[in-house]
Amino acid sequence: MGDIAASDRYVREVFVELTDTLVDEFDIIDFLDRLAARCVELLGVSACGLLLVDHHGTLNLIAASSERARLLELFELQSSEGPCLDAYRTGLPISCAELTEAGERWPRFAPTAYTAGFTRVDALPMRLRDEVIGALNLFSVAAEPVHPDVLELGQTLANAATIGILHQRAVQRRDVVTVQLQGALNGRILIEQAKGFLAERQNISVEEAFALLRDHARAHDGKLLDVARAVVDGTLTIGASGARRRSP
Amino acid sequence: MSVRHACVACSRALEALGTGLTMLRSGGLREPVYATGPKSQDLEELQFTLGEGPGVDALEAGGPVLTADLAGGPAERRWPAFAPAAAQCGAEAIYAIPVAAGAVRLGVLNVYRTHKGLPSGAELSDALIFADAVMVLAIDGRGGVATGLEELIEVSFAERRAHVHQAAGMVAAQLQLNITDALARLRAHAYLLDRRLGEVATDVVRRRLRFGADGDGGAARGPPPARGR
Repeated sequence: MGDIAASDRYVREVFVELTDTLVDEFDIIDFLDRLAARCVELLGVSACGLLLVDHHGTLNLIAASSERARLLELFELQSSEGPCLDAYRTGLPISCAELTEAGERWPRFAPTAYTAGFTRVDALPMRLRDEVIGALNLFSVAAEPVHPDVLELGQTLANAATIGILHQRAVQRRDVVTVQLQGALNGRILIEQAKGFLAERQNISVEEAFALLRDHARAHDGKLLDVARAVVDGTLTIGASGARRRSP
Repeated sequence: MSVRHACVACSRALEALGTGLTMLRSGGLREPVYATGPKSQDLEELQFTLGEGPGVDALEAGGPVLTADLAGGPAERRWPAFAPAAAQCGAEAIYAIPVAAGAVRLGVLNVYRTHKGLPSGAELSDALIFADAVMVLAIDGRGGVATGLEELIEVSFAERRAHVHQAAGMVAAQLQLNITDALARLRAHAYLLDRRLGEVATDVVRRRLRFGADGDGGAARGPPPARGR
């Protein structure tokens, strides 16, 4: 991970960047999207996803370092089986260094993850006191074991994600937590709808569509959800070239 | 299974005075469509006539509005006309849950209670689950789909899958529909062909299935477009 001084500096920069986003115009999905990307960089993993529990008790993806379909499927699988589900249920970090040997543990997830090219998976619980709201999922292609410091940093990032979602460290009312989680996940649904709509309109992949939405929001200092809503409403058109038109 | 059943079941689960369902029509107009009893019907009419209330706020906010005490200061300040009138009807707490998923915004479920207080964790989860069920039933109703109980349970979960929402977006663009109607078309198509919604959605997202803009012609299988997925 380079020399200690450089990586410390980088970590500090990342946290400054993340806390910069915790202001009035807070865009939770953009925040988690950035955090997922940062996890990949800081932890030296190949892919990262954040999953939150909904009122059905099901884990749902809220943000990922990549929107590639195969990766998203891996997250989706974990609603019924896998390290994130285990981490969510136990409140403990779950690690598997060799996915080829995890067939009994996770009969569907392990072979799918391995076929996708990953050898290692870690799931860190997103928790606030007794409340576990989801899990931060890391995938690696590297065969060597992960340094404990890296996992500790990963847990810190998972905690940052939890605080970002719940807005405060203090113990929350149960109903407030549920409503905030539901709101975040509902926002993700809107983004999925917009991805599909834009993919069809522009004849691109849903992954490319997400990049267009996100880049447009960032370029125009707007919220990702607002852009998604406008695209679906038909009041905003984003072309692959970046050009946009507003119809009345 | 109908929307009414879901409302009644929700009322029972939350030991409510009653539950009302107000739908959101095109143009943003609200319309009370069902209430489990005369009291909840009055309360629904009140929100509608006065144009204010937790249900109205929940629809605008896009998230649940939970009021523990209608007679309290905050509620009276927020809804100066509705709060006292609702209290007169016997409601002390109201939980307004949007019937929505992203851009699909169908309406709001209002649970009226005779006792003050917030819902318990389980009660809030139940209310959200019933709102999901109402959404599926209402969408199916549009598409002429008869939802069975088993299917309802399964679909409530399936509706939360990313590719289902992506497919709804794609079909909306293909047929120039809003997302709600696109989802209804997907459900109707799956129902007609006795296929699972998730599978149909996968076919749409993988560009194996396109919905042609040829009136009620339904889905047409076509070659994938020039650029890949």
